[in-house]
Order: sequence, then structure tokens, then C-alpha cells
Amino acid sequence: MQDDEEELHKLLLPNVHDLPLTPPSAIDFNFVAYFAPDFLKPGHDQYVYRHANGLCVIGLAPTHVAFKDEGGITAVDFNVGKSDRSGFKVTGKRKKQNAQHFESNTAVCKVCTNNDSYIVRCCVKGSLLEVNNRLIKQPGLLNSSADREGYIAIIMPKPADWLKIKSSLLGLEDYKRKREECFGSS
Amino acid sequence: MANETEDAPTNSASESHATSADVERNPTDEDKNEKLLNDAVQFLPTDAVKDLLSKEVCLRCIFRLFGMQVPICSSLSVKSLLCHVLGEQADLHQNISSVEPNICRSCLGILQFTYCGDKERVVENESACDFAVAIAELVKKEGHQIDSFSLEVSMPPTILENENKLSLYVKRKYRSEAWFKDRSISECSSTKDALKFALTNPLETLLDVKCGISTFHIRLTYSRVEASIRIQNFVEKIEGCKRRKVDAKNCLDTVKDKSAITGVENSVVSTTEVIPVDEKSSNGLQDNEPSETHEFPLKKVNEPCRLECLCFRTPIYFGGRYLKYSRNVSQTRWIIDEERMGEASIEEIIGGNILPMCRGDSYKFHAAGREDIDVRMLGSGRPFLFEIQNAREVPSELLVKEIESKINSLENKLVRVKNLKIVGSQGWTLMREGEAEKQKQYAALVWISRPLQDEDFQTISSLKETQILQKTPIRVLHRRSPLEREKIINWMKIEKIAGSSQYFLLHMCTQAGTYIKEFVHGDLGRTNPSIGSILGCRAEILQLDVTDVKMNCFLTE
Repeated sequence: MQDDEEELHKLLLPNVHDLPLTPPSAIDFNFVAYFAPDFLKPGHDQYVYRHANGLCVIGLAPTHVAFKDEGGITAVDFNVGKSDRSGFKVTGKRKKQNAQHFESNTAVCKVCTNNDSYIVRCCVKGSLLEVNNRLIKQPGLLNSSADREGYIAIIMPKPADWLKIKSSLLGLEDYKRKREECFGSS
Repeated sequence: MANETEDAPTNSASESHATSADVERNPTDEDKNEKLLNDAVQFLPTDAVKDLLSKEVCLRCIFRLFGMQVPICSSLSVKSLLCHVLGEQADLHQNISSVEPNICRSCLGILQFTYCGDKERVVENESACDFAVAIAELVKKEGHQIDSFSLEVSMPPTILENENKLSLYVKRKYRSEAWFKDRSISECSSTKDALKFALTNPLETLLDVKCGISTFHIRLTYSRVEASIRIQNFVEKIEGCKRRKVDAKNCLDTVKDKSAITGVENSVVSTTEVIPVDEKSSNGLQDNEPSETHEFPLKKVNEPCRLECLCFRTPIYFGGRYLKYSRNVSQTRWIIDEERMGEASIEEIIGGNILPMCRGDSYKFHAAGREDIDVRMLGSGRPFLFEIQNAREVPSELLVKEIESKINSLENKLVRVKNLKIVGSQGWTLMREGEAEKQKQYAALVWISRPLQDEDFQTISSLKETQILQKTPIRVLHRRSPLEREKIINWMKIEKIAGSSQYFLLHMCTQAGTYIKEFVHGDLGRTNPSIGSILGCRAEILQLDVTDVKMNCFLTE
């Protein structure tokens, strides 16, 4: 018994020298990041993280004009367009019956700062699976981690629709180059 | 199957000698039979027998009608019986076939061992022994190693109808006779029982094993040939009125399936009802019988039934536990767009070693839960079950141990098997029992965005039976229902890794069904709480290992 446990323990311990200083994050590992700068309006920079399974997580890119306002984002309102996006629920595996089908320019929510408010759009045509309701009570998540816990929504596009929109999106490097001034000399 | 099947009763009346020679030539049996025949024949009413013969009912149907269960095997015995029955006037050279009908109207030739076999050829066996030889040949051809067999017979519903009609006819005609009153007609045996009785002994002798409850089945399925023509006409009728929703429409797709033909015949085409007859009443007739049951003589039969003879073994089960040492091996065969994911699968490695030893047709793999392809399964291992279809051979305990050793000494050491053994069907229930409640233990290699502090050890260890809420992880959200699941983390422990301040091993025990990876990195905040939220920083998981599956089955004894 003792030997078994020791053997197991040996298997569990990693070789410290093989460990990277900073490992890739779960997002880096599982998603491919795309960017839509100036989406329908100048300065409205959004990201689309696409998972290997086809789902897309959308949110505000770090260079979004809302972050430039003093105090950052203070409130998030999902009651835009025809209905309150925070209210609905998608059920079932097929997610077809009651999923809402959005176009890429459909409004998902509105983010407010001390000065202004900005519409966040879908970016990708598809079914809206989920909105990040946490943002209602914790809008600060957008200021601290817009690329993680501050995501806006999850969309499920059809393969054909994804291919269409993909060509108009920028990869990380192209996005950085475009917004050089924001990223400095990195 | 459209018709019912039963197991043959174990026959301990006669001795079976362990020879593969012709059963008939055994002198002891022959003498015994002769005596039994003579005794039984005394009671056979000659007039009734002649009458039934003229109505094209075969001898064996007559015997079973009068409750005679004589193991008549050879045609010699039947001939001599015929002489007794028909009286001294009978021509001793008279051939049986000129007296008996070509195809019996009651049993449709089944008890005459006549049937339509492969390639629509009509086979007429002289005796039950010849028929048994043909069946035994099939068993040997398949290469089955058996220690017993169970005999199953399935017949078209017409047989039962005919039995009842025949029985009623005899009752009505002869109810005033003395010999009828002496014996109750309920002694008559069914066609099915008569066939099984005729075949059991010869099969036991030829196969050298006993008949009874067994995993090895010999299944004889009789079906009517005429039915296919009737169905064809019926189907054309249905196609003509497509709008009408008829029950039989569902059968359209299966019309080509032979076994469904009898089913359709039963539900749609046949119009006669099978009335259960009260055999104990002295009158024998019930007032509310429809006119069809008086329909006698039975319809003439031109073709014998089609016979499909199948021999197979019911699934055997191998249980055990497996360990997975590789982060590139999936649990089951995983192929996307013709490309295999990972370099191998547990299912194929283990199954590929078990199946050939059993000489089975195929296998089905079942496991108590699963782990991702990049997660190792260590410790006591995960319980699994292999279901082997139609094994030609059941491996001995020794051979099973050899199979286990072989798998464990494979060069690439990707998989290990423990406690492999053949289990009965209870292995199935053992595995499924409490699968959802069982706890699993894990060890995760975790990285956090700040150095580990002394308080962290305590913070983590102090949390017992913590409830977390997990939204369906994004990585499976495309194929799972979007739900929020409550899960319990039973306990956790941080193990420091020498030489690193931000990496550590996290040991934990959780409720079955918990998504561990998401519990560590938080899944964009959709799992709450998470390691990151508990420690107040960002957390990532690099490696995961399952160290224990806490279940009671297939453990080392």
C-alpha cells in the first residue's frame, strides 16, 4: 500500500525545470482571439474569442473608447433593442427552439460611463446563448477584466455565417498594429 | 421476435451416450422406445387416427394431441407404430409417406421436420435425428465451445390457431366416446413442446452436452412463406392511400425483414382470433365462440415453413479497472473527419486483446464515468465492463489472467488493467449503482498569478463540503444543455512544489460530475466559487490526474 502511494506521488510531481514562468491561460489555450475595431462606430473596439467547438465569446477590447472616460464603466444595461437581453433563457441541447437569432449589428447591451453610453453589438451573426448577467451588479468587471470575467455574451454562429464574418475580423497582431498608439512600443 | 420463445425442459429420462455416432443405432434406447411405443399404442383410437390422417394431420401431431410423449426418433419405430394403429389389415410394406400427408395442415410440416431452408430449398428430414444432425453441424461450423445449450423455438401464430381448432374438433367429435372421457384432452402438448421434445435428446448426444438454461442458444425460427405474398398485396394497397395513417405503415420499412412478416400477419392480415379454450370443462365449448373456430378441416398447406436456424452465445461480461498513464489516449475510439484523435484508445487496447481470445463477433465498452483525453487515470483505476457478443469460447480463469498480463506488458505502457475477470450480469448493476453519488479524487497542477502565501494552505484546507455552482462549461456548451449545476467539493489540500512559488499540487475530492478544470480557472466567472476567486487571484490548471474513483466494484480481493 505504502509503495503504491509513493509510486503514485512520483507520477504526480512535475519536473520543475519544465514549468514555464507564466503558462498560457485557459483562454489563450482554448480560444482564438479576433478583433473588430471601430465596429459600426469609431472607437467601438470589440473582441470575438472563438472556441474550437465554434462558440464565440464577445466583449470589449482593451482599446474600446468607453475605457478612456474617467472613472471607466459604471453601469451595464441589457435592456436594449426589442427586449431585455438579460431576461431570456435558452434550454435544451439543440438550443434551437427559443434561442434568439441575432445579426452582427444587433445590440446586445449598453455600457455607461460618467460621460456617455455606448452600444455593444453582436459582431457575429448567430444564436445568442448567454449574456453575462453578473455585469448588472458588477459593472466593474469590465474595468478589471474585460477579457475574462467581464465578457459580454456567448454566441453560437452557423459555420457558414462564421466564415463570412471571419474575413472582416483582425487577428491579434493586426489589431495591435492598428492600435499601435494605444499599445505603445511593445 | 414476434413469437414467444421458451427454454426446453431438461430431459433426464433417457441416458445419453457420449458418442458422435448415429443416435438411432443405440440398442438400449431402441428397446426402451419399442416398449414405450407398444404401451402407448394400446390407447390410441384407430378410428380417430384414421380420420385425422385423412384430414391431412401428421402422425406426430396426432400423438401430441393424444398426449403421447414418446421419444420416437427413428422412422423404423414410426412405421411399426403405424402398423399397430392401422390394424392387422395394414400392408406392412406400406410407406409412411403414402399415409401421412405431404405437409401436415396443423404443424405446417414442422413436426415432420420439413422446412424451407437456405436458397428456398425444401428440406425433408427422415427423422428428428437427421434434423438434429443438421443443427449440430451448424454449431460445429461456427466453432462454438459449449458446456450446455438452450433450445428456443419460435413459430408463426397460425400454429397456435391450428392447435386450438384441431383440439376443438376432436373434442366435439369424440366427446361421447369412452376413450375420450378417460383421458382429458388437456394432456395434449403443443407443437412447440413436441418439437423440442423430439430434438432435445438427439442434440444432447450429438453435442455431448446437456440441454437446459445456458448462455449458448440454439434458436429455430419458423415463418410462413405465403405471408410474404400476402404482405406484398397489402403493402400495395397501403401505398395507394398514402394519406391514411395506418398502424401497418410503420411496418412498411420493415417489410423486407423476415422476422417482421409474421408480426404484420398477426396484426393485420389474419382475421381469425385465437380463443383460449377452457380445456377442463366437460362440455368443451363456449357460447361466445365466433364461427371461424368451427372452420375444419384446416386449410391445405402447399409449402412448408421457412426455417432460420441461429446458434449464438448471449453476451459475456468482463469487468475490471483500468489505469491510463498517457495524456494522449482517449477512453473510447474517437474519430473526427476520418482522423483519429489521440494515438490510441482504452477501449481498443483492452478490447482488442479480449475479443480474439473469446473469438467473439464484437464488443461494447462501458465505463463508470470518463476522463478527458489529456487527463491521466491513476491510483486504484476506473471500473469498466466489456460486453462480448457471441463469444465462440468462454476463456478460463487462467486465460483471463494471461490476457491481463499481456495488456500490462505492452511496450508503450499506455494502459494498465487490474482485477480483470468474467462477471455475471450483476457486474452491470454494480457499476451503475450509485455512479452519480460516488466521489472522485484528483490531483491538479495549478498556477496562480501571485506567490503562494502561508495563509493559502489554511484557506484551502479549511473548506469542507463546499458547494459550488457551475454553469455548463463553454467547452461543452455546444453539445450540452445550458444548465447551472450544484456540485460539492468535499475537501482540498495544497501540496507545495519545491523550487516554485506560484505552482503547486492541489489535491481534492469532489462529487461525481464536477468539472475540475473549470473549478480551477473559473471559466470566465461562470463557475463560482473557483480556486481563483477563493485565493483572490488568477488561477490556471496545467495538468489533471484522477487519483481515485471511490466505487465498490471490481476491487482487488
